[in-house]
Amino acid sequence: MSLAYDITLNVHRYNPDDNRHWVQSYEINAGRIMRFVDLFRKINDEQDPTLAWGSSCEHGQCGTCSMKVNSKPLLACELLVENAVNYFKTTVFTVEPLDVAPVVRDLVIDSDKAYQRVDAVKPYIIDPEPPRGEGEEHQISPELLDQYVNATRCINCFCCASACLSSHKNFLGPNSMLAAIVRVLDPREKEKEERLKCLYSENGIYRCHSSQACSFVCPKDIDVAHFIALAKKGFE
Amino acid sequence: MGISIETSTTIDCDILIVGAGGAGLRCGAEVLERRPGTKIVALTKVSHPQKSHTSTAQGGLAAVDPKDPLDSVLFHAFDTWKGSDCTADQNVVKKVCESAWDQILWLENRGMHFSRERDGRLSKRTFGGHTRNFGESSAYRAVFEADRTGKGIMDTSWGESLKRGITFINQSIAVELLIEDKQCFGCVVFNQKSGEFITVNARATIISTGGSGQVYQVTTNCRQNTGDGLALVLESGLPVMDPEAVQFHPTGIVGPGILASETLRSVGGILRNNALEPFMSKYAPKMKELAPRDLVARAIESEIREGRGVLNPDHNIQHVWIDLRHLPDEVHQKQIPEVSSFFKRYVNLDPQKELCPVRPSNHYHMGGIPTNEFGEVEDKVQAVINGLFAVGECAASSFHGFNRLGTNSILELITMGKIAADRVIGCLSRQSETIVYPTTSTRFESRFKRYFESTGTENIGLIRNKLRQVMTRNVSVFRTEKSIAEAIDIIKELKLRSENSALSSTSLSLNQELIQRWELDNLMAVAMVICEAARARKESRGAHFRDDYPDRKDQYNYHTLVSMAHFGVFDLDRREIDRSLFDEGKEHHEKFDFIERKY
Repeated sequence: MSLAYDITLNVHRYNPDDNRHWVQSYEINAGRIMRFVDLFRKINDEQDPTLAWGSSCEHGQCGTCSMKVNSKPLLACELLVENAVNYFKTTVFTVEPLDVAPVVRDLVIDSDKAYQRVDAVKPYIIDPEPPRGEGEEHQISPELLDQYVNATRCINCFCCASACLSSHKNFLGPNSMLAAIVRVLDPREKEKEERLKCLYSENGIYRCHSSQACSFVCPKDIDVAHFIALAKKGFE
Repeated sequence: MGISIETSTTIDCDILIVGAGGAGLRCGAEVLERRPGTKIVALTKVSHPQKSHTSTAQGGLAAVDPKDPLDSVLFHAFDTWKGSDCTADQNVVKKVCESAWDQILWLENRGMHFSRERDGRLSKRTFGGHTRNFGESSAYRAVFEADRTGKGIMDTSWGESLKRGITFINQSIAVELLIEDKQCFGCVVFNQKSGEFITVNARATIISTGGSGQVYQVTTNCRQNTGDGLALVLESGLPVMDPEAVQFHPTGIVGPGILASETLRSVGGILRNNALEPFMSKYAPKMKELAPRDLVARAIESEIREGRGVLNPDHNIQHVWIDLRHLPDEVHQKQIPEVSSFFKRYVNLDPQKELCPVRPSNHYHMGGIPTNEFGEVEDKVQAVINGLFAVGECAASSFHGFNRLGTNSILELITMGKIAADRVIGCLSRQSETIVYPTTSTRFESRFKRYFESTGTENIGLIRNKLRQVMTRNVSVFRTEKSIAEAIDIIKELKLRSENSALSSTSLSLNQELIQRWELDNLMAVAMVICEAARARKESRGAHFRDDYPDRKDQYNYHTLVSMAHFGVFDLDRREIDRSLFDEGKEHHEKFDFIERKY
């Protein structure tokens, strides 16, 4: 069962010190259940300590290690060598940073800039509806929660924003829209008008071309396009 | 080599939060809610606060609902005390358990998406070690947001912090604490992105840097959990408390270490060794796979140690199998779909057809920076360092003692974050408007110069891997005098080797190797104090198990304090365990005596 693959990674690199972009090839012998994050660690330990890449939880809960492998935005911690070989039908992979913010170094992008679009939609309750009484929780029926709970599972990995046809221009991006849509549907938010204004603004959901690429690439299997369609229909 | 290691700017603020996870931001959000306009700067080592380790907590958040007629705060306090193997501090246990429901309401009222019952109220579930009536039956005490409770806490505390105007410096680390005459004045901070060193002067500094799981080869912790906060205080000459108390979850998935929940065993999963023998009946004839976490972890380690493990060639890690093949399809599909999907996703195995590799995985550090019940950091004689706080996993107040109950960690982090905020607000209002900040930072300069000036061909990554292997082999689930002594010798040797590793690049901006070099020193420092404290505690207590001293002993009824201002030079002290619930002598106080931890 133990099978190893000879893998080639063509990594798009950038050095801010001399503002240089280049593609560097790494040859790696990798076991079948090594993940791409394991490969980068192996490169750091055995070949090249200077290759910069980001990760945190390494089990699909934080969205730090998102990048493009053979043009598909994905989480490197979830991509097993064996699955990558089968899915892309090759052992040669092009690895690029996500294109949703400027690159800081190699595969690491400026996440502050990427997050500016999330911050813009105010990912919190702007004006909280007070609970029925002091020391009480709100009562939210499971049916109501079910309407938007999937949208709350977003981890802001920005894979959808990278895959989206429109988000490279003025669109705030599918993940930002999800954050806004959640609070339109959340009964604890009083400030619905500002939410709707944001959704239906110049940078809002009408920039969406309904390609549904967001749903296709989402590592959390959130049907992002469904929520955007819901907003387009005015939450009817 | 002409690298300039000096601070380029100075920022003045009211509060500096070092580590923007759940604990740090709960504290910051509370301060801003009650004292708008407070200037707060929060650092995070990761690319954004949402990427913190808090986000990965799954199960739930223990809290006694005052509306529940069957449960009581005292029961929760008892479970926590018993679970801690009688080493938690009872003043802290009382405070955290009493305040728990308020913290749930804080989160709920601010938008956390808790799972709900039919009537719209918060759902609750049971969790190991949480009982009603002092162990009589299971308590429904854990509220949760599906299997992503930590994410809910993180999103809420980050959202509130953003709303109220905390200034974030993402991808930055605190490289030196500024302390003079038992007063903390802030930190020297290194901004990884810009490559700048910054002096951040603060009236209050909150250390909330999280755990130290990367000390071990297999861990459920994030890549960034390298014990930085512990190393930071050690370097300042301050002690760390109970570092030997490290929790291991019995079934981490090989190799990433991701948790394979207890559920797998409760639905009938069988642990098997390399000969496919079901081995649990040897260790726990009655309970078998359903024995408590620490017992199962020790059973698995025993099998591996005695040569009945299996080596995973890809990750070079020994493991045993969990067999789920015999379970009916319905169990796979309805009861364990999530964990099943983890095996599929991370090791490409179908648990319905194949054996799945598991082994004990480092999970949580009960030990940490010693604080009093208000989150204020103490030195080795229990004198408070003014203006310095520690909360969350990096701190030891001590709510968990030597063993933490499931669902108590995220409760502790938000509650202690809030409690520290109460104290910080008091401090800020007492302090005069102008503070003269001393300019005494020097240690970071020599440390970073040393990194850049180092020559030689040693490899930082390989030294780190070796350290993690040694700690997993010698000082994890099982410890002996010999295994610990051997680990200390090896770590000392690794430390010497690390001094002969030249960095490949002299750049300061996002130089990952430089950060890994800095982390390696932190990992080695934390590993050393874990070893020294484990060596000195010649008994077994909670998660600390000594083969050569398998029983708990009353003479060790205290907290370990270990200082290491210089590498390998230890200073051991003790702190009394607070027993206020016992001493008060109220009804049921006898439950808070040094009782046996038997389930």
